[in-house]
Amino acid sequence: MDFSIITSNIDVYLEGMKNTLILVSISLVIGLLLAVPLAVLRVVGNSFVQIPIRIFVYFFRGTPLLVQMFLVYYGLGQFDFIRESFVWPLFKEAYFCALLTFSLNTCAYTVEILRGSMVATPHGEVEAATAAGMSKFLMLRRIILPSAFRRALPAYSNEIIFMLHGSALASVITIVDITGAARIINSRYYSPYEAFITAALFYMAITFTLVFLIRQLEKKWHAHLQPENQSVVKIEAPHENITG
Amino acid sequence: MNPGQHAISVEQLHKSFGENEVLKGIDLTANRGEVISVLGSSGSGKSTLLRCMNLLEIPDSGIVRVTGEEVLMKKNRRGENLPADIKQVERIRSRIAMVFQQFNLWAHMTILENVMEAPVYVLKQKRAEVRDRAIFYLNKVGIADKLDAYPIHLSGGQQQRAAIARALCIEPEVMLFDEPTSALDPELVGEVLQVMRDLAAEGRTMIVVTHEMGFAREVSSRTIFIEQGLIIENGTPQQVFDSPKTERFEMFIAAMM
Repeated sequence: MDFSIITSNIDVYLEGMKNTLILVSISLVIGLLLAVPLAVLRVVGNSFVQIPIRIFVYFFRGTPLLVQMFLVYYGLGQFDFIRESFVWPLFKEAYFCALLTFSLNTCAYTVEILRGSMVATPHGEVEAATAAGMSKFLMLRRIILPSAFRRALPAYSNEIIFMLHGSALASVITIVDITGAARIINSRYYSPYEAFITAALFYMAITFTLVFLIRQLEKKWHAHLQPENQSVVKIEAPHENITG
Repeated sequence: MNPGQHAISVEQLHKSFGENEVLKGIDLTANRGEVISVLGSSGSGKSTLLRCMNLLEIPDSGIVRVTGEEVLMKKNRRGENLPADIKQVERIRSRIAMVFQQFNLWAHMTILENVMEAPVYVLKQKRAEVRDRAIFYLNKVGIADKLDAYPIHLSGGQQQRAAIARALCIEPEVMLFDEPTSALDPELVGEVLQVMRDLAAEGRTMIVVTHEMGFAREVSSRTIFIEQGLIIENGTPQQVFDSPKTERFEMFIAAMM
């Protein structure tokens, strides 16, 4: 095993990490921004509004991310009217296609996560808001969504990590992300172990950073769910008696 | 009687859930400063009556008036009764406070935020003023030390007192209490009832659905008894408790004592 090929090519990995982080973060932001109104409409809208959202979610959750990406990147180029239209300069770029696919994919999953946690808003809290004279919109803004976001956090943190790992597929359509970097090193030196273990370590480092950040957010956001006197510290308290 | 004195009134209120007719024509007027205890066995319609007053339940027919203003209703295509103007309903609700059996505090907000929410966001009052008032009312119900706690960190009695402070902070025309002590441990009932006694003594208009006979008898200015969707006793606590007009109410008291 020879890890000097990694250290001497670390710039390829750093470039790959930059691309992974950009792809994933932009997709997540777009996906979330789209998912919030869609989830709201999915919950409160009439069936004319709900059905297209359901179909969208059903398609993106029902098919593999790789197939979706191929459909966008290879599939759309097959149609003349797309190749001749003003959007073609965008759709011929692998980067744009990956970004679009990832955004829509994570959006679909996030709609379902948010819908589930909105529906789970305690009925009494909704009733208290109604009785206080809140309009539907105010109630969404002040009660249902803030409460739902907090409940959605554990599920959404999973979605963030799935998206990070799913983004490895971007390497299939020529993008040099972390996995793309590993493929370059592998083909250059034919050393798959060193190449991909390095990629794995990069993904792990990002994942653990994300998990740490989410845990901080949970501490802040889930204070209202944690009964006092039940923290880990308190459970360990008897030790003090023994030593003291 | 001067209609300006009316805090809230209902006329010929009817409400059914499916086949089950819960309210069969209720007439009730609460004047300013009255404390009305609503008694009745479970399923008698007493909670439904209360919930119709702030349109949490939409009555099938009948009139609800709040400080003389009639809630406008219309019929939809299926002939069901609906509020004609949801903005009017929201405005009327914002002047009526409700205290629920299960407290229904907003779990993701601190106690202070819970109390400030409606005045700031519904009544659009200035945050600094509302804050002072919220602290005043939290003091009044005796939990000013819990401002920054979340509801889950409070006992049931403290949560209900916070919910009463939340109700007070909108400076309501009428306060509706829907079995406010029924979900509490017996030893916590007293602290909530004490707060309610204080409010009654201040001359606030209160309509209290309750099983607390002591409260109905000693604190309320009027006691009504609902049986199968109709008011069958209506008078001062002395009249109603000491010389009930119906045998049904005598049986009810006997069973409660």
